[in-house]
Amino acid sequence: MKTVRRLVYATGVVALCAWVLVPIYFITLGAFGGRAGVFKWPKGVLPGETFSFAAMDTFLRIEGVAHAAFNSVIAASICMALSIALGAPAGYALARYSFPGQNLYRLLILLTRAFPLAILALPLTVIFIRVGLYDTPVGVALIHTALALPFAALISSSLFMGIPRELEEAAWVFGCSRVQAFRKIVLPLALPGIAATAIFAFVISWNEVFAASILTVRERTLTAYLLTVLSESPLHFRFAGGFLLIVPSIAFIFAVRKYLFAMWGIANR
Amino acid sequence: MNAISRLTVAGLAGLAAALAFVPAYAQQQDVVFLSTQLRPIEEAQKVREVILKGFPGKVTYLVEEPPQFDVRMRAEGQAGRRTVSLAGALHGELSALQPSGDLQAIDDIAAKVKDRGIPANLMELGRFGTGKQVYIPWMQATYIMVANKKALQYLPPGADIDSLTYDQLEAWGKAMTDKAGKRLIGFPAGPKGLMPRFFEGYLYPSFTGGVVTTFRSPEAEQMWTKFAALWKYVTPNSTSYDFMQEPLMGEEVWVAFDHVARVKEALVQMPQDFVTFPAPAGPKGRGYMPVIAGLAIPTGAPNRDGAVALIEHLTKPQTQIVTAAEVGFFPVVKAELPADLSPGIKLIASAVAKTQNAPDALPALLPVGLADKGGEFNKVYFDAFQRIVLRGEPVKEVLEAQAGVLKGIMEATKAPCWAPDKPSQGACPVQ
Repeated sequence: MKTVRRLVYATGVVALCAWVLVPIYFITLGAFGGRAGVFKWPKGVLPGETFSFAAMDTFLRIEGVAHAAFNSVIAASICMALSIALGAPAGYALARYSFPGQNLYRLLILLTRAFPLAILALPLTVIFIRVGLYDTPVGVALIHTALALPFAALISSSLFMGIPRELEEAAWVFGCSRVQAFRKIVLPLALPGIAATAIFAFVISWNEVFAASILTVRERTLTAYLLTVLSESPLHFRFAGGFLLIVPSIAFIFAVRKYLFAMWGIANR
Repeated sequence: MNAISRLTVAGLAGLAAALAFVPAYAQQQDVVFLSTQLRPIEEAQKVREVILKGFPGKVTYLVEEPPQFDVRMRAEGQAGRRTVSLAGALHGELSALQPSGDLQAIDDIAAKVKDRGIPANLMELGRFGTGKQVYIPWMQATYIMVANKKALQYLPPGADIDSLTYDQLEAWGKAMTDKAGKRLIGFPAGPKGLMPRFFEGYLYPSFTGGVVTTFRSPEAEQMWTKFAALWKYVTPNSTSYDFMQEPLMGEEVWVAFDHVARVKEALVQMPQDFVTFPAPAGPKGRGYMPVIAGLAIPTGAPNRDGAVALIEHLTKPQTQIVTAAEVGFFPVVKAELPADLSPGIKLIASAVAKTQNAPDALPALLPVGLADKGGEFNKVYFDAFQRIVLRGEPVKEVLEAQAGVLKGIMEATKAPCWAPDKPSQGACPVQ
């Protein structure tokens, strides 16, 4: 019985890993397989004789890729910082205080995601031009923050709800002010979750295309810069571009995986 | 604590870096050339490195998909601050921007490029019936058929590939399906495919001799019934194809119809594997649709002089020949294509020539005067296709319903008929 259970467990693990790894593997194969490799079937384990850096090389040599990557990092970092700076307090308020219209507020937060960006695009762009935010990474970051904020607020509110109120009250009893109690007791407990929320905001900003491409002309983010040329390019270029776009996200998530697991730990408790 | 301060520091550093970056772009004195054409990465690089090479000034060549292009042009106009000095786009995309006044009159440039030999009817298209030149024709293309050489053995006896009929295409498809066991004809009926143009420029003109007026004619009913029969030999994956070059190269399909720019990759990479030929003919002739891209200058362009010089450069016969050789869009000016074109481009050129010179050729213009309703117009035809061919709804009912929508669009825009429909007084009627 035990072996059966272990077998089922192992199968599940393998299936889940394959679910994630097989597409990434095929993208990698396509990216380095050269023009001919894309249409070869069955595929080899390694790119083999069609192996070439040509597609990757073309990508890296396109003028502006480095600049676009830089813009992406800026936009994503600002988006991350703002989402936490605004989202975490909002989440705390939702979790700890009861105020009239609380449920309505919860709903209103989500409402920012209810309007398709394509409809808002024209007025938004006009305003951004007038304000002077057009064609700047900061402008892109602001829009991305608006997109990420609802998630940041709701995730952090459930996060704070998961931290027992009694701990905070105990701190007050021992003479902490409200702010001190938050800083010394609640924040360390919530930190992994907040970090995860930050990652979430980062990834939202990194992957967003539509707003990023409409609001910029020269200062494109990497996703906007590459995707406009990618979707209609030959397959091996698409694979190469896809590879370039997923590698940073994977590296980033891998680097902060500790915090992610910690958040799941909280959610399970 | 540590992590949070690290995050904050990263964010603040980013903010500072971004703010430092803001003023940098405003100082460049280049021509921003925004285009919805030649977007794929290799072609955009060809534009930057080859086509724009002889131009003395500095050009920033940017590409954008049509929806974003439209939003940007309007937004910059409404906000009164332009970054784009030259816009390159298809006839239909530019026509949508004309009513809002986002494109300026460029009759002075039209006079300058007069000696280039751009045909009068193309220049006329660039005026949108306003009497003022709004765009200068830039390059042209059309749609062709491509077949894998393996498919040729199944051609119905007696059929000449260069003068196929829709009946013969159906017989060909049947033979391939029977012998090879797969449905091997492909159409670009995906979300971003150009299928509506097939109905407007090929199927309708070939069968009914019109596009709008004959929308629900008895001929149109027969046509849809016929096309539904042909669809039995068309691969069901067609509804996911945007470009036919990949399915052709991967041998998912053997025979395909698409825009030349969207099969070019297959022809350039494997010229020895493919043949090209004109689209089939119906009872009323061999309908085909020339595609025109134009160059326009937005109202309030920051660098009009640069844009004028760039238009002059791009319409030079030498530049036009280079454009044809490099990216497969053909000259709008008088220019002899050199004999040493690459084999892939030669395949395209020969099919285009055969289409234009076919004795039964029936040119169907791009919709004229629809302004920003071009998308809705396309949807009428595509919806009819989806309902009749894909869902098998009764032809007559669908055509009646869609004719109502079409009528609404024509009356709202008051667009007069364009070829091959007969000229009309006022809005083009749906008979």
